[in-house]
Formats: sequence, structure tokens, C-alpha cells
Amino acid sequence: MNSSLSHKSATATETTGSPSTGMNLNPSRFKTAPLTLWTDRMMNRTIKGGGLAVILTVLAIFVFIFMQSLPLFGRAKIHPRNTIQLDPSIQPLLIGADEWGELPYVLESQGLIHFISSADGKTVSQDDLSKLLEAKISSVFRHRRPGNQTFYTGTEDGRFAAVDLKYIPVFTKDSREIHRELNPGELYALSDKPYPVRLIAGAGTGDQKLIAAILAAPEGNRFVVTRLIRTVALFGPGEESMEEIHDLTGEIEGKIQKILVNGAGDEFVVLNEEGKIFYFVYTDEAPILRQIFTPFKDTQDHQVVSMDYLNGDVTLVLTNASGVNKLYSLFVAEGQPLRMYYYTKTLPPLDGGAEFYAPSLRNKAFLIGHGSSFSLRYGTTATIRAKGRLDSQIKSAILGAKYDRIFLLDSENRLHLYDLTDPHPEAGWQAFMGKVWYEGYSKPDYIWQSTGGTDDFEPKLSFVPLILGTLKGTLYAMMFALPLSLLAALYTSQFARPSFKRTIKPVMEIMASLPSVVLGFLAALWLAPLIEDKVPSFLMAVTLIPLFVLIFGQVYSRLPASVRMHVKPGYEWLLVLPIIAAGIWISWNLGPAIEKIFCTVYDSETNLRSADFRLWWATVTGMPFEQRNSLVVGFMMGFAVIPIIFTIAEDALSNVPKSLTSASLALGASRWQTAIRVVIPTAFPGIFSALMVGLGRAIGETMIVVMATGNTPVMDFNIFSGMRTLSANIAVELPEAPYLGTLYRALFLGATILFMMTFVLNTIAEVIRQKLRTKYRVL
Amino acid sequence: MAETQENAEQKIFVQNRRGVAGEAWVWFTAMGLTIGVAMVIGLLSLIGFRGLKVFWPQRAVVLQLQSESGSTQTMAGVITKEQEKAGHYEEGSEKQIEWQIFQGNKEVLGLSYKFVDYTDIQKVEYPLNLIRVERLEYGDAFGFPVSLKTPDGGMIDAGDPAFSGELAKAVKQATRVRKEIKTIEKKQIGKINYAIEDKKIKLKGLERKQKAGTAEAEKINAELKDLFARYEILAAKARQLRDQSAGYVLVYKISSGQEKNLPAEKMVDFYFPNQLNRIERFQRFCHRIFHFLADEPREANTEGGVFPAIFGTFVMTVMMSLFVTPFGVMAAIYLREYAKQGVLVQIVRIAVNNLAGVPSIVFGVFGVGFFVYFVGGSIDQLFFADRLPTPTYGTGGILWASLTLALLTVPVVIVASEESLASVPNGMREGSLACGASKWQTIQRVVLPAAAPGILTGFILAMARGASEVAPLMLVGVVKLAPNLPIDNIFPFMHFDRKFMHLGFHIYDLGFQSPDSEAAKPMVFATTLLLISLVVLLNLSAIWIRERLRKKYVVGTF
Repeated sequence: MNSSLSHKSATATETTGSPSTGMNLNPSRFKTAPLTLWTDRMMNRTIKGGGLAVILTVLAIFVFIFMQSLPLFGRAKIHPRNTIQLDPSIQPLLIGADEWGELPYVLESQGLIHFISSADGKTVSQDDLSKLLEAKISSVFRHRRPGNQTFYTGTEDGRFAAVDLKYIPVFTKDSREIHRELNPGELYALSDKPYPVRLIAGAGTGDQKLIAAILAAPEGNRFVVTRLIRTVALFGPGEESMEEIHDLTGEIEGKIQKILVNGAGDEFVVLNEEGKIFYFVYTDEAPILRQIFTPFKDTQDHQVVSMDYLNGDVTLVLTNASGVNKLYSLFVAEGQPLRMYYYTKTLPPLDGGAEFYAPSLRNKAFLIGHGSSFSLRYGTTATIRAKGRLDSQIKSAILGAKYDRIFLLDSENRLHLYDLTDPHPEAGWQAFMGKVWYEGYSKPDYIWQSTGGTDDFEPKLSFVPLILGTLKGTLYAMMFALPLSLLAALYTSQFARPSFKRTIKPVMEIMASLPSVVLGFLAALWLAPLIEDKVPSFLMAVTLIPLFVLIFGQVYSRLPASVRMHVKPGYEWLLVLPIIAAGIWISWNLGPAIEKIFCTVYDSETNLRSADFRLWWATVTGMPFEQRNSLVVGFMMGFAVIPIIFTIAEDALSNVPKSLTSASLALGASRWQTAIRVVIPTAFPGIFSALMVGLGRAIGETMIVVMATGNTPVMDFNIFSGMRTLSANIAVELPEAPYLGTLYRALFLGATILFMMTFVLNTIAEVIRQKLRTKYRVL
Repeated sequence: MAETQENAEQKIFVQNRRGVAGEAWVWFTAMGLTIGVAMVIGLLSLIGFRGLKVFWPQRAVVLQLQSESGSTQTMAGVITKEQEKAGHYEEGSEKQIEWQIFQGNKEVLGLSYKFVDYTDIQKVEYPLNLIRVERLEYGDAFGFPVSLKTPDGGMIDAGDPAFSGELAKAVKQATRVRKEIKTIEKKQIGKINYAIEDKKIKLKGLERKQKAGTAEAEKINAELKDLFARYEILAAKARQLRDQSAGYVLVYKISSGQEKNLPAEKMVDFYFPNQLNRIERFQRFCHRIFHFLADEPREANTEGGVFPAIFGTFVMTVMMSLFVTPFGVMAAIYLREYAKQGVLVQIVRIAVNNLAGVPSIVFGVFGVGFFVYFVGGSIDQLFFADRLPTPTYGTGGILWASLTLALLTVPVVIVASEESLASVPNGMREGSLACGASKWQTIQRVVLPAAAPGILTGFILAMARGASEVAPLMLVGVVKLAPNLPIDNIFPFMHFDRKFMHLGFHIYDLGFQSPDSEAAKPMVFATTLLLISLVVLLNLSAIWIRERLRKKYVVGTF
């Protein structure tokens, strides 16, 4: 057929030439038709271009995936936007800004607020809190939350009020304007005598606000704490009332330097000038001193220069005069009943004690600095995201509510605006691969937990449990699949009848083509419940079957040749079948008995002894027993891995040059001796490469793991618990990950890791196989 | 000297008497193969058995139960499983057997499956007049028919010989009406809905361009009004049909004695499981398989058929093949026929080979990032800006799914095609070239035809892999229930942006996301059987073609 085709093409070439008779020796007769040449050229180009394009495209996939994960490792970028010169007469206490960063304000210590347009630097309006409250203000404290901010103001006559500042976006025809709204709350007296409020701090939600203040009484400063509680009403806001005022002067030694109140309004910390921190918690409607600690005890100067909350109000950012930057976090330590502050991290030191501090409202980042330099840091990973310097002293700073702006006010009353681009502050090698001490945890750990129930939840993106889970799944799959497939490959290549190979290979190919979703479904809904209460039987089968077969083999090989001759070599695998069946039957029925003898658990409550492997395992090892566990996954993954290892290993084994095996057999070695001493050593690289490819398949397997495990990221190798692998993690989380968010990119990084692992394994295997081929050719 | 030789001879003798060295280990290796083969055959037979059992009309039982407290209870249903009772092994206790009964009647009994202690069973009966009704809602019902109310107010008693025939007629009529209503609702009303949606988006687009109120907008508004009017007419027609079909009502008594009414339009099918003979049973078996393949799913996919999933799988696989074959073959031809065989090509070859081993989920990740968000998002910005923020192509869909799978399978096709190109003897190429054929002519008319079976094998293997992959599809557009097929009668007929159903995902979803996983199990097994048959069939045909090819060109390819 092919020859006729080529013949046809030849005649076609001939006839497309100029019409001529046989005698005509016109050279154009021998010319190829222009169309043919043109087609040839076009097709050559198309195939060259197309082929190259396809190959490049396929390879570019991984460049794309890798590129998507690259921004995770970038640092924060800060670009200057504009600088606004403020009225030099303003004596700023602190600066603030709205959610959009369009209408920042400067607050003076006497309660004067200047709202400034960030676009043109003009003062939009000035509000005087003193006028608003009709009282002379002696102290102001700002509590900032996403959405709104509250000024807690203390007056000269010992009263206080909470003033809410709200920004309201007003949409006009073609633009959006930000309007501010100040809502002064009621004035409450902090004492029966009108002592001026020297220092005030407050925070809280709409329902519960905690206010701590220092009153300058003639006999000495008094430290008082109270709460504003709003009763719940069905319609509209309920009534607000002040609780009892607690005088805590006696509890605190020394002069109070700073007070911080947490956002929930039920805790506060007080710093004195000697560097001691007093931690109070409201319990039973009264503040109780829970802990006193000195964070810089181990350094030369104990004094704390700055103390501030990180977003979430469970971590204190502290610095001392020499610029040491430490974090203390609240958690329940092991063996302790209550949450207390403990040292967690030290960040790179500053030039000196922090003079300004601004926390992010979105994540655990904060801006801190001394003198004219500032540094943007991330609390969880204890890393510096960005650094900068102005040419004059920085007085006050604030981070935009969306973590997209930086506002700095310097000593010359200039307001510097910066654009901040830092989409993935929580990422980085430390976060992905290292132990991280997360807030609320009693020690640094490897944790993958990308989403949580609360707002102040921080994503925990450690790849270590996922990589470990991947290795765990692979390990158990290989433990089952590797011996089986290698034995099968050895038998098929060396001992089975050659004609039989033609049947067995398609069977293995069918096995390889079984959809993993089917295997996963069977693992989870059929196998897992089936062996859940039959684990002893299963474990027995694993040991008994090989034992039985070996014993049978020994007995058989000792039988007289007259008996043995009835079994043709190459048919052993059929004869083994009844032995295996017997092994399964015996272990299935013996399992419960074994369970009764070895795995009984005594329950003191019900006074019952029960033979249950699941309970026994949990009591003896202290590790959980799950229905969907690694055993099930390992077994089912065998279906996916066995045919792959088998095919490659069998190829390598059966392609060992005949001359070698023939020589060995001729020298009197038995077929087993030939196989084990000649064939296996020669084909060993091939077996190794089969192992590599099998590993690659097991690592990347997704659906079986998704379906047949609980998908909990764990850090153990307990065979009776599940795991979460890299691939399952992607399948579970990517559909929910916001586009270009940290989780999204982290999952791309996971895919990159997965790709690298399998690609490296496959490349090793392929190179080894190439070498082996050359070796065989030489032999 | 002589002594040692004698010794050696003796040793050989001893060895011979003990048998051939290592023979026991040969048996050990045989075990590996046997277990492997047994695993495959066992798995396939398990799926085959469980999958086909779903369709077999089993006999239904009525059980008289007496619990320990002494109360008696009647129960009707099908025995689905017999197992040892789970629990602790206590000293001296007997093995306890329990039966799992599929009792249907979900709306009355709550759970469709129930376990019954074997010891509690007093009597097991197979009453002939027990009827099993497949319903549109609440799954199957078991009961004893009492009568059939006819639309004219008449009543046919269950004892009447005409009862069964009349009921069959009523169900048949109800099915026909249901079909008509469906045609109206799905096809005609669907078309109008599509048009209304389209016009509304156009209006929105005009508004965006600040052209609301212009003549163009007025025109669209008028068209919309017209469409709404047509919609009303069709809706009225459907309502009318629905009213018409009401009439026949089956009255039956369930095992607890409660009497229930079931209108014929809520019935899909019925039969008397204990009256069927073997041939009738087989007929019903085939009938149920047919409906499984041709019907749409009901009751959160746990009832009905899997037609949309089959169709989705088919369209996706075909689209994937259309992308993958030309490009895969082109790359293979380039690598084998055009590229200069050197280190670089060897590296590329290894890389492409390795890509076949890269986990499929990685391709899914690429599909999401590149196709869905990047390309799809850009297409939406450019062409479907009026529909935003609702994405058109910027979300998973059948086009992206098939492109993703095409990338996943392209290495398979390249490797298989290259291998088969390599196995075409060089003599054939040289012969063709010597006859004056150009390079392309040689490839087109000599090399490709000779390599076609091998390329076909790769293509079939790619299809099998594409049809069985689920992990990447979960990311790029497969859904649990797609309201519309990707190809239908509404212009432009092929909707590549639509989400689709897939057999593999159907298994995952039914088994793991279903509220009543026990009730979903039969359906999962049936779907699994279908998918496995499809994949095995594709693989077998690939193997068959390759075997034929091997006979044709015997060339070593290791």
C-alpha cells in the first residue's frame, strides 16, 4: 500500500510538469511543479513553527506557574506620592486617615482636628473637640478600627467622652467625596472631684468600651478604670451607661507611662517607667491583675520606650532605649490555666527606642521607627518588609486601612504620603518552610490553616505538613506497591511463559488506566468501611500470605521430581492462587481471634473488656485511629503505582541481553540464581528508574488522597490516620482561593514544588534508562 | 584431591536432592504477579457486579418484625446487604447478623435504608401484589395497590384484571405530557429566556455608554415586551398541559398500613417485583439501563440518569481531541522528521516524556491561572464587558476544561506519535525521496499512513486519560449539576463558556458531597461501571490496534 502511494506521488510530480511528449527533452519537464514546492515549503515551515511552538508552550506552562508564585517572595514597595506642608502653627499629637486615604487629619493635643485633602494638601475643615464637648480637653487617645475611629477624650474637670469619627463616602455624578462626621458621646465623670485627666486610653466595641485614665489628684496620681456598657435594645441603639469606677492606683507601682486597652474592651495593659508591664483582665465586672512582667529584664536598660498592640490586640510590640524590638504574645502556656503574656520573638533592632508606631489594620504588619528612619515589619514572620528614611525627624505615622498607604508626619510639619504595595506580607521562605510562632500558640510550629472563622485570624501557610503528608502517602503506597510490582516484574520477565507476557501486559495497562476517582471512591466508600473493624485480619493477611507461599515453595522444591514435573515452569502463578485465597480466608477468620487475644481494651466506666483494634491502637500508641487512613490510601494507590513500576521494571528485566542469561544457565546456575545474580544486577538501573517513576506517580496522585483521607494536615507517620498532600491541598483549596491573593499564589507555589519533585524524579529515571539502553546495546 | 572432587560431586547431588536452588523464591515472585492480576480482576468484577446489580429488579420482601419489647412491625423493601453486626466482640456472644433493607417511601419513613436484626425477623414473605413505584420525588415507593382513581371520577379496584393495564396507560400518558411540558419549558421558553437575557445585557451596555432612552434602547425595550408576551403564552400552555394531565391517582397502602395517594403525573414507572419471570426481569433490567443512560438526573443526582454527564464527558473529550491531535502530531513530526537529532532534541524529548508524568493537578492549576483568569478575564474585558461583573469566559467552562486536558494529554500524543514515526523503516522514506517526492509529500503520503495506527493508539490513550481525569477538571469548570448542555438548539448552538457535567466528577460528587451517601451508592456504582467500561474499552481498542501494528512492523523499540 505504501509503495503504491509513493509511486502515485512520483507520477503526480511528473504529470504536473509541462505537457510534453516522451521525446521532448525540455528541461522544464524535470522541474518540480511550483505548487508542490510551495506546499513543501509551507508545510515545512508550519511543522517547524507549530512543533516548536507546541513544545515551547508545554514547557512554558511551568514557567507561568512559577511566575505566579514569585511575587510571594518580593519585598514591600514604597513609592512617594506627595508631600503636604502643613501650617507651622499646628502642634501635632498624632495623624490619622480614612479608609481610602483621601482625607487624613492631624490631631492636636488640645483636641483640635485638622482634616486635610491628600490630593491638594488644602485644609478641608477644622474641628475642635473641646467645642464639640463643651469642655476643656486635657488628654486624647485614639482607637482605630477598620471603618471607624474613636477619640477618647479626658477633660480638665475629670470627665471623659468617646467621640466617634466616621468617614462617609458621598457619590456625586462623576466622583466620590469623603465626608467626615464627628459624633460626640456623653460626658461621664471619672471621679466625684474634678481632677484633670492626665492620660486616657480606651477601646471597645459599640456595646462595651473600656476606659482607663490617670487623674491628677492633689495627693498624687490616681489610676481609674471603668466601662461603658450599652444595653441591647430591640430597635435602635440601647441605653449607654457607665459601670462602677475601679481605682487601681494601689496595684501599680511607679509612674505610669502608657496604657493600652484591647479592642474587645475587656483587657488592658499598663506600662510603668521602670519597664514593668501590668496585665489586667476584666472578670466578674472588675479588673483583676493577672500578670506582671518585665520584658527587658535580660538587657541593660529595663525601661520600655514604646509599647503598642499589633493588629488583633494579643501581641505587644515593645522597644527599649537601645532599639531592641521584642514581641510578647498572649497564649495559654502548657500547664497554665490562663492566658498570659510570654516572650515570642525578637525583631532586628532599631537605631533607638521607637518614637512612632503604626499597626496595619489588615494583617500583622507594623510601621515603626526612630529618628528619621522608619521600617515596615511583619510580626508573625519577624521580618523587615521595607525600610526608608526621611531627611527630618518623623513625629507620627499611620498605615492606610487597606495596607496601601503610608502617612508620615515630620518635625517640620510636612505630611509625606507614600503608596505601599505589599500584597503578600505574610509570605516568604520563613513562613512556608520554617517553624513559625503564630499568635495564640504556645510554641513555634509548622501549620497549614489557610482560612479561619474570625476576622483577626491570620493565615498559616506552612508547606512542611503538606510535604510530609505527600511523603507519608507515597511511603505507604510504595511499601505496598514496590515489592508486589517488582516481584511480578521479575516473575513475568524471567519465569513466566513468553507467550503469557502478551496477556499480562494489557492487563497491567488496564490497571494503569483505572481512573483515580474510581479508586478513590472505592477506597473511601468500599474498602475503608470494610477493613475498618478488620484491621487485625488485614495485617495478618499481609504477613501470612507471603509466609504461606514461601513455605509452599520450600515444600514443593523438596518434592520428588516426578511430582514436580506435573507443573510446567511458567504456570506457578496459577497454582499460587489457591494458596493466596487460603491465606486470605484464614487471616480473615483468624483476625477477630487475634484481636481478642492481643487487642483488648478495658473500659473502667462500663466495666467491660472489649476487643477492638481501633480503641486498642488509640490507647496504646496515643495516636488516633481514623476510618479513612493511610493504610487504605496505600493499598488503593497500589492500583495506580503497581502497573507503572511493573511496566518499566519488566522492560528493563526482560531486555537484559540473552547472551548473559544463557551463559549463566549454561554454567549450571538455576533460573533463580540467574535471575538474582545476573539479571537483577544488570537491570538494576532500570529497576531504580521504575522506582523513581512510581514515586513520581504516587506523589502527584490527587483524587485517591482527596477522597480516601480526612485531608487534615498532620505531622506524623501514623499509619491509621490520614494526611493532606500537596496535590489534595490544591484540589481542595484552589477553587475557593481569591484570584492573586496570598493563598492563590501559595497554591501555585505548591504546584511548583509538586512539579519540581515529579520532574526531577522522572528526569533521573529517564536519564538512567537512556544509559541502560546504551549499556544493553554494547553488551 | 580426589576426595575433594568426590565431595563436590556429593554436594551437587545433595543440592539436586533438595531441589533446584531458589525454587521457593520463584513461587514467591509468582505471588506478586498473582496478587496484581487478582487485584485488577477483583476490582473490575466488583464494579461490574455492584454496578449491574443496581439495575437488576430484585424481588421485594415483606418482613414481620418483632423487637425485644414485643411490638410487631411490618416492613417492605429489598434486601440489599447481609452483614455481621458491628460492635465490640464480647466474651461468649454469638455472631449477630443484620440485614440492610431498602425500604423506600422516604417521605413517610425518613430514611430509605434501614438495618434489621436477623433475630427480630419473624416472617419473610414475597407477596405477589407488592408494587414498586419509581417516583419523581422522594425516590421509590413500596406498597400494596388499593385502587386507581380515573379522571372521570371512576375507580378501578386493584383486584380488577384491567388494573395493571390501566395504570400503565396512565403512567405512559403522564410521561408523554411531562415530555411535552419539558419541551416547552426547556426548549421554547429557554430560547426566550436566553433572548431576554441578551436584550437586557444590551440595554445595560447602552446605559453604560449613556445612550439610555435613545431610539435604539426604545427598540430593544419594545422587543423585550414582545418576548415577555410570548413567554406568557408559552407559560400558559405549559400550565394548561399540566392541568390536563392531572387525573389518574394511584391509591396504595404502605407496609405500616397507611394509605397513600399518588397522582400519575408524579410517577415515572412501576412494576410488581415478585410477579416478574426471568425474561421480564431481564427486560426491565435493560429498560433501567437505558433510562440510566438517557435520562436526566433527579433528586440531587441520586435518582434518574446520567445523560448530561455522558454528554459533557463526550463533548469535552472530543473538543480536547480536536485540540490535541493536530498539535501533538505536528510536534512529533517536528521532533522526528525535521529537528536535527542532537543533544538539544534529546533533552527536549526527555522533557516532553517527563511531562506525561507531571501530576494532572498541576495542569489544572495552570488552567485556572492562565485560561480562566488570564485569558478568560481578558476576553470578558474585551467582548463581554456589559455582562460584568458576572463572568462569561472568566470562569470555568468546557472550553477551558478541554484546553487544559489537551495540554495534559499532549505529551502522551507526542510520545506515542514519535515512537510510531520512529518505527517506520527508513527505507520507505528513502524510497519515496528517491522517487522524487518532496519531504512533505514523503511525510504526507508515506510516513504518516504507515505511522497512522500508532498515532491512533496515542490518540485513543489520550482520550482515555482525558475522560478519566477529574482533579484538573474540578478547578476549571466541571459542576455537580449543569442546567444546560454545552450544545443545544439556541444560537450559537455551541456554548463553550458553559459549565458541564462529567462522569468522573459525578462519582466524586455523588459519593462525597451527597446528603444521603447510602442512597447515592447504587448510583455511584452504576456511574463507576459506565466510566470504567468506557476507559477500559478505549484502552482495549488501543491495545488491539497496537498489536496489529506490531505484527506489521516488527521493530524493537525499547
